[in-house]
Amino acid sequence: MIWALLGPELLLAIFALAVILLDLAVKQKGVLAVFSIVGLLGSIGASLALWGTNGIALNNMLVIDKYALFFDVLFAAAAILVILASTDYVEKLKGFQGEYYALILLATTGMMFMASTRELVSIYISLELTSISLYILAGFLKDAKSTEAGLKYLLLGSVSSAVLVYGMALVFGTTGGTHLGVIWNAVKGLNGIADNPTLIMGIVFLVAGFGFKIATVPFQMWVPDVYEGAPTPVTAYLSVASKAAGFAVILRVFFEAFGRAPWLSQSWGMLFAILAAITMTVGNVVAINQTNIKRLLAYSSIAHAGYIMMGLAAVGLMESQLALARSGILFYLAGYGLTNLGAFIAIIAISNNTGSDLIDDYKGMVRRAPVLSLGLAFTLISLTGLPPTAGFVAKIYLFNAALQSGLLWLVIVGVLNSVISAYYYLRVVKTMYLGEPASTERLSSSGPLRVALTASCFGVLFLGVLPNTVIQVTEAIKFLVS
Amino acid sequence: MSFLADYGYIGLFFVVSVVFALTTVLIPQILTALGVIPSKPSPAKSATYECGMDTIGKSWVQFNFRYYFLALLFLVFDIETVFLYPWAVAFNKLGLFGFVEMVIFVGILVVAYLYAWKKKAFEWK
Amino acid sequence: MGLAISFWLLAAAAVGSALAVVLLRNVFRAALLLISCFFAIAGLFVTLGADFLAMVQVLVYVGAIAVLLLLAIMLTREAATGSPFSRWRIGGAIASVALLAAMIAVFRATPWKVADQSVVLKPTTAELGARLLTPESGFVLPFEIASVLLLAAVLGAIVLVKEK
Repeated sequence: MIWALLGPELLLAIFALAVILLDLAVKQKGVLAVFSIVGLLGSIGASLALWGTNGIALNNMLVIDKYALFFDVLFAAAAILVILASTDYVEKLKGFQGEYYALILLATTGMMFMASTRELVSIYISLELTSISLYILAGFLKDAKSTEAGLKYLLLGSVSSAVLVYGMALVFGTTGGTHLGVIWNAVKGLNGIADNPTLIMGIVFLVAGFGFKIATVPFQMWVPDVYEGAPTPVTAYLSVASKAAGFAVILRVFFEAFGRAPWLSQSWGMLFAILAAITMTVGNVVAINQTNIKRLLAYSSIAHAGYIMMGLAAVGLMESQLALARSGILFYLAGYGLTNLGAFIAIIAISNNTGSDLIDDYKGMVRRAPVLSLGLAFTLISLTGLPPTAGFVAKIYLFNAALQSGLLWLVIVGVLNSVISAYYYLRVVKTMYLGEPASTERLSSSGPLRVALTASCFGVLFLGVLPNTVIQVTEAIKFLVS
Repeated sequence: MSFLADYGYIGLFFVVSVVFALTTVLIPQILTALGVIPSKPSPAKSATYECGMDTIGKSWVQFNFRYYFLALLFLVFDIETVFLYPWAVAFNKLGLFGFVEMVIFVGILVVAYLYAWKKKAFEWK
Repeated sequence: MGLAISFWLLAAAAVGSALAVVLLRNVFRAALLLISCFFAIAGLFVTLGADFLAMVQVLVYVGAIAVLLLLAIMLTREAATGSPFSRWRIGGAIASVALLAAMIAVFRATPWKVADQSVVLKPTTAELGARLLTPESGFVLPFEIASVLLLAAVLGAIVLVKEK
């Protein structure tokens, strides 16, 4: 039954519509947050109920496999944490709370469709659904910075979408289909680049278009300004869910359509390996000099995109490593997602009180907000990749996948980069713990926000201490290929 | 080929309209050059309106942003009609499934319409 | 023959007006030429036998988007004075020409599958409707997501344009 297979996405879309309608009726906007969270929990429930089913629906365009369901759960969980963390932010939304929650739900729906479709037109349009919702959310505050963020994101995002859709057109023109299975059937008959150079050009455009969404160098220029100007909960959502959705699509498209012909997969694998090395280095080196914590985390998110791309390179260069590399990517995305959300939630709480995102204003924060500081320090340690955190296990696991694919040089670059990153992450920790506080006033934070921070920190700790439980799950995840 | 030939009429129409516009502009010029029309320029002739009020200020006026807002909403519902059209043409073949699909499609946009209405998007003030 | 002539005329018009859009300093004139570019592309769709797309191109781009574009220009002050040249224009020109050269080289090197000359062109609207909405062969998923996308666009229009 197709409606049951569509469950997670359909439920969320219905809740988004309901939130919009409910917003017109109720005065008490807090209800909308609760209602949205109920919808997201329902969607997670539906995904878990479907766990293990392999199904296709809607003319083979929608595919329900563990891979899609894993991402459904990941996006919904991230959205829940973001909505919880937004409770302190809603006064700034100028009477548009209903739209705020509805757009988060719509963006999540789009991401879920991105992870579970295997047809280029559907991928494009669900990506646009996500992007347009996020453009609006980035400009939501309507002050100078937020508007600049929204506008910049919109303009550069539209250009990248145009590049992406042009790449899709070239792939369609040379293979005769938009369905990944049909594309693979056409690719199967080719023996080398000379057989169809236009297809290669299309693939390069696809890398550029998707590269923008995951913020790889040289398509990363929008990241710092957008992350700085957007409302902080939206920044958190962008850095975690939007990036994960980009990786979800890339892995599925590149493996299913272009990944099973060794001559082709090795070319894009090498391309991703080089991009990974450049991306992580640029992200980490530029992050060193940042004075604004949101910009710092923006560059850090670029660097992490670089680490995750190592997994893509591993899949491309050694198809036999698919299971390990895919599991590495999934585990990394989960660990990184929880960690980054935790860090941003702590930042939301702190800057809501101090009104500043400057790292200098975090001096002696441990005496003003011991719990928040501990949470932020813990997540920053996880971002660095030190035990006992999710970041540590994720890095080791992914680096191992890259090693198995013969990418020793890339692993060395990754390790060196982790050392660089330790400098700027731990500098923030040092500022918080050893600096002299500007005032002794204690910081206050709301209940939902504390719940969200606790949940993400426990998640990070759990993945760091007992990774096997989750790795067993991610290793069992496969995608259906035609 | 007859399918494309139908577009020939549109092309013909296009050519006629361009020629018509050009000739009406060029006829006075040619007649002046030939000396049929005397050339006696005067300020009254080159005024914006020969009779009526003089214009004040520049022709460049900053528009009210509400026009833009309405244009945005118009665009959204314009695209909706674009989808409705092929559905209507193929309606015989589509059966109940196509009907349900379109009801869902329009239903979602009705939510958008209701929302815009309740948010007073269609009111000028 | 007539088809080839009209294709090249329309292609020249499209490329020429697109170039003018980029190179003209007056924003308003650039917008008008963009509309002429849209129109030429509608003509190109006709030469390809895509009658419905040509209609959509005129309705949405030449109609709605053009209105939106011109209104946006009229909303801004000082638009008539035009935009200054970017510092990047030389780099941009070089990059564009390089991309063009690369694309021409790639397209020429590709063994394209050429359609049978005897293909009969026929109206496409009904066929498109069927391809969009039939359960077993249709693009039902993107079709439904499109409506949700339009909903998000309406939300955005109201959130970002309305004050309070």
